[in-house]
Amino acid sequence: MQNESAAHRSASAEQVRVWDAPTRLFHWSIIALVILSWLSADQGYMTVHLWSGLIILTLLLFRLGWGVLGSTTSRFSDFLHPPHKVLAYLRTQAQGGRVLHAGHNPAGGLMVMALLAVLLAQVATGLFANDGLKFSGPLALIVSDDASDRLTRIHAITFNAILVLVWLHIVAVGFYHFVKGDNLVGPMVSGKKGRAHVPEGVTIIFAHPALALGLLLVSIAVMAWILF
Amino acid sequence: MSSDSRTSVYLSARLYFACVALVTVLGLVTAMALRPAFAHKVLEIVGLEVMPQATPGSFYTVRVAPLFTRHCIGCHGEGRQKAELRLDSFAYLMRGGRHGTVIWPGDAKASELMTRITLPAGDDRAMPPEGKTSLSPDDVTVIRLWIAGGASPIVPAAAIKGAPRQVAEVTFPDLNPAATRNLRAPLASVMQQLSARYPGVVVYVSRNSADLELNAALNSKSFSDADLKTFLVLRDRIVLMDLSGTAVTDASAQTLAHMIALKTLRLSNTKTGDATVLALASLKSLRSLTVMGTGATRAALAPLLRRGVTIHGDGDAE
Repeated sequence: MQNESAAHRSASAEQVRVWDAPTRLFHWSIIALVILSWLSADQGYMTVHLWSGLIILTLLLFRLGWGVLGSTTSRFSDFLHPPHKVLAYLRTQAQGGRVLHAGHNPAGGLMVMALLAVLLAQVATGLFANDGLKFSGPLALIVSDDASDRLTRIHAITFNAILVLVWLHIVAVGFYHFVKGDNLVGPMVSGKKGRAHVPEGVTIIFAHPALALGLLLVSIAVMAWILF
Repeated sequence: MSSDSRTSVYLSARLYFACVALVTVLGLVTAMALRPAFAHKVLEIVGLEVMPQATPGSFYTVRVAPLFTRHCIGCHGEGRQKAELRLDSFAYLMRGGRHGTVIWPGDAKASELMTRITLPAGDDRAMPPEGKTSLSPDDVTVIRLWIAGGASPIVPAAAIKGAPRQVAEVTFPDLNPAATRNLRAPLASVMQQLSARYPGVVVYVSRNSADLELNAALNSKSFSDADLKTFLVLRDRIVLMDLSGTAVTDASAQTLAHMIALKTLRLSNTKTGDATVLALASLKSLRSLTVMGTGATRAALAPLLRRGVTIHGDGDAE
């Protein structure tokens, strides 16, 4: 018994790298930029809002690319599961079961996709939106005033959707932390998880940082192409 | 932050979700307290929002609301709600916007709406914004007086003294020369012939109409029953006819009875009488009849009067 406990402590203490730096930087940057976008729009600092939105769009483009080319745990193929698997996972969790995942669990993967989708919708509509005063999104002039107004309304609705999803995300992270005893925040900061929380025999291949840098430059170029 | 993913804090799922529900409710309450517009929206959804209505003859309805309709609701109406502010009803106006109340009843100076509409044109916060039609100084005075008077939805329009006189808005239909030409085309040859024979007697009533005015008073005594008969061809277009002082008699009664578009008829000082008046009873569009100096009697005029036709000169009394 003592040996088992000691083995568990040892497994917990042993750290396994699960998240690459680009994914973690993306995660925390998006949080900061969403807050900045919210505050800047609220206070009428529309130039700040514009740039914040453009950076979010660039990062989203990067994340879409990184979801295909990045490290194992960052890839869509790693965390996108069919609905029946997500439901089965949630059922297991509700019954107190425990399923280990090195990266996002199936429910978390769904949340990532939902957040990426609403964030994309938010920045895309923002490009065509206007504030009815002196500020218009960089592409607002290529659509009619009516279309710009409609997209502005959608921009407001998707923002509320973001708030709802973010709250659900926080509730879920809290659930894992306080109910399941899994700290999901720490690994998203350090990139490492205790060995006890990583399935046996999982191999994580980390993409080279230069690939991330290249992808970021491509995202910036695409962004510039969209705008100019 | 520790990178150890095993935490030492444990709660039951039930307790955790109870806490989440509590935090969610507290968050919503806080948001409602900080954001009045959000609070109103939530109360409206749950059916607890009070929506005061302005009365039809109130100063707000008659003087203030039309100004908002003309200058503001493009951005602050049903379709768009900039800054979450709507100005298309009294209830929405008093509810305020994203940043709170915009009207402080009795205190125009403290009211954000007054501040915004009185800022200099170049100011970014001025309303309506650059490029939109500004409120006139009289419009601003009307709003200021209404707020200073308590911003009431029921105070009658006449009760607030010192308001600039209301300017009636008159709109003219746009001229459409092509449409007018089309309307007049069927009359062109007849008009040409009659104008040659009776110069200036028949003219169009306006630039964009095919309705006609026959003014034989200019020709006076030389205009007879036979002459009037020649205008029968235009009976569905002549809306005004002045036969004052002409030689027209009761022999024209049936001719006049066929003038189906006639609205105004002047027969002053003609040898017409009850026979003509009785014949006019069939003209449904007739609104005004002048019979000074004719033989028309009150008895003959009575049916027309009952129908609402305005009679100038009352027959027997002349």
